[in-house]
Amino acid sequence: MTTQAFLQVLASGILIGLIYALIAVGLSLIFGLMDVVNFAHGEFLMLAMYAMFGLVLVTAIDPVLLMPIVVGIMFVVGVSAYAGVIRFAMRAKANPGMVQIFATFGLALVIQGLAQYFFTPDYRNIGNSWLGGKTLNLGGVFLPWPQIYGGVISLLAFGGLYLLITRTDFGKALEATREDQGAVALVGIDRNRVFALGWGLGAALVGLSGAVLAVFYYIYPQVGGPFALIAYVTVALGGFGSIFGALVAGLIVGVVEALTALILPPALKSVGVYSLYLAVLFVRPSGLFGRL
Amino acid sequence: MLLEVSNLTTAYRGLIAISDISIAVGEGEIVTVAGANGAGKSTLLKSIAGMEKPKSGSVSFTGERIDTIPAHLITSRGLAYVPENKRLFPRLSVYDNLRLGSYLHRGKADREAPLELVFKLFPRLQERLSQRAATLSGGEQQMLAISRALMTRPRLLMLDEPSQGIMPKLVDEIFAAVKQIRANGVTVLLVEQRLSESLEISDRAYVLQTGRVVMSGNAADVKTNPEVRKHYLGI
Repeated sequence: MTTQAFLQVLASGILIGLIYALIAVGLSLIFGLMDVVNFAHGEFLMLAMYAMFGLVLVTAIDPVLLMPIVVGIMFVVGVSAYAGVIRFAMRAKANPGMVQIFATFGLALVIQGLAQYFFTPDYRNIGNSWLGGKTLNLGGVFLPWPQIYGGVISLLAFGGLYLLITRTDFGKALEATREDQGAVALVGIDRNRVFALGWGLGAALVGLSGAVLAVFYYIYPQVGGPFALIAYVTVALGGFGSIFGALVAGLIVGVVEALTALILPPALKSVGVYSLYLAVLFVRPSGLFGRL
Repeated sequence: MLLEVSNLTTAYRGLIAISDISIAVGEGEIVTVAGANGAGKSTLLKSIAGMEKPKSGSVSFTGERIDTIPAHLITSRGLAYVPENKRLFPRLSVYDNLRLGSYLHRGKADREAPLELVFKLFPRLQERLSQRAATLSGGEQQMLAISRALMTRPRLLMLDEPSQGIMPKLVDEIFAAVKQIRANGVTVLLVEQRLSESLEISDRAYVLQTGRVVMSGNAADVKTNPEVRKHYLGI
């Protein structure tokens, strides 16, 4: 293997890893906030991709400019999912953990079914866009512009999230709620409002990754599945609830996946990632930056 | 009256914890609720603060019913509550805990005004602003919990056993602080096991026994009552 080929794989792995991290961070955020694993996370991603597809179809504006609208739509989807489903699941008198799992799983099935019906199972893609099909040549290493764009957006999103959590009152309220959701009422904070905004934020983040993916990936009702699976691995690897962990783990997963594809036959592409996942579960079940 | 509790009954899993309790707290008073372990003192405060739903009866604050609204709205109406286990945010810094206390208020001046009082009452908190709340001693955590409650700018402050589990020197500091808090215009409803000290600073007192009010009156009268002396003061 030449150095060139290695660098090519490494760079591709880092770029896709940044997108994996962005997909995973919303999942981790919601889990950290309220101990709920959102099994509809992949469906949120799929919805965001269709939202982008639909907006491009209707407005003929470039995806780069439509990105904020998709993020806004997904924020509303997240808040609605909390207000319409999760809120009630959390009130379960017996076995609330199981009820929450089945509630988000049921939500996933409903979204999936509706997507099959309304969007049809056809594969779609956004044909022409500013970035689509263009590559950057970095001394023999070729990087597609849509992926570079995705990586940059991901880093900016992580930066913004960091500032939101450490510098704003809402960020402090999020932290306080994850520390002790029963105590925030003592300072006048409505935890239901924080939860709803947390779901909105989580969905907006996965919506951002969907808006980015839609530029260079096929769009179909099951598109969220494989990405969600990787997101669960990423969150477990980084540590449930850890935002910085999601970033590091996303990068690790992206690079390991790319390197595996270089060494093993393409059919075994995922073996490296899942072996790594098992190893982490055995050695450090709380993940790299987990608090558990 | 600032706070009026009428015929309040609260049950845990079907067991009556407090039964038909009526108490009142006037503006500017310090009122102690005394009683042995399990008498229902904490349940009473929880029921007033909206952390526990009463079975029957009513709670009025500034003339309006508060037993029907969620806990965070009770706080925003000016009734602050420091529970027995303090419920600080342990991984957040002392400053962030205080800052969250003023979450409801907007504008820098409004938010930081109570800090002056807090630092006057508990100078040691000022030295520990960047420390995580979990690293404070028991007494300091109590100070922080009281301070966080003061940051909400309450009209009534309810304290559940503020002297519990802290060293004697700090206990005096806490009781002195309660007096200071009242001097700053905040009414105080105090639940205490240390009856002697709390009656010392109180205007009136209620004594609870197995979920009912068995005695009430001026703090001085309660203190000299032979029954109270025998059962609670060990004299």
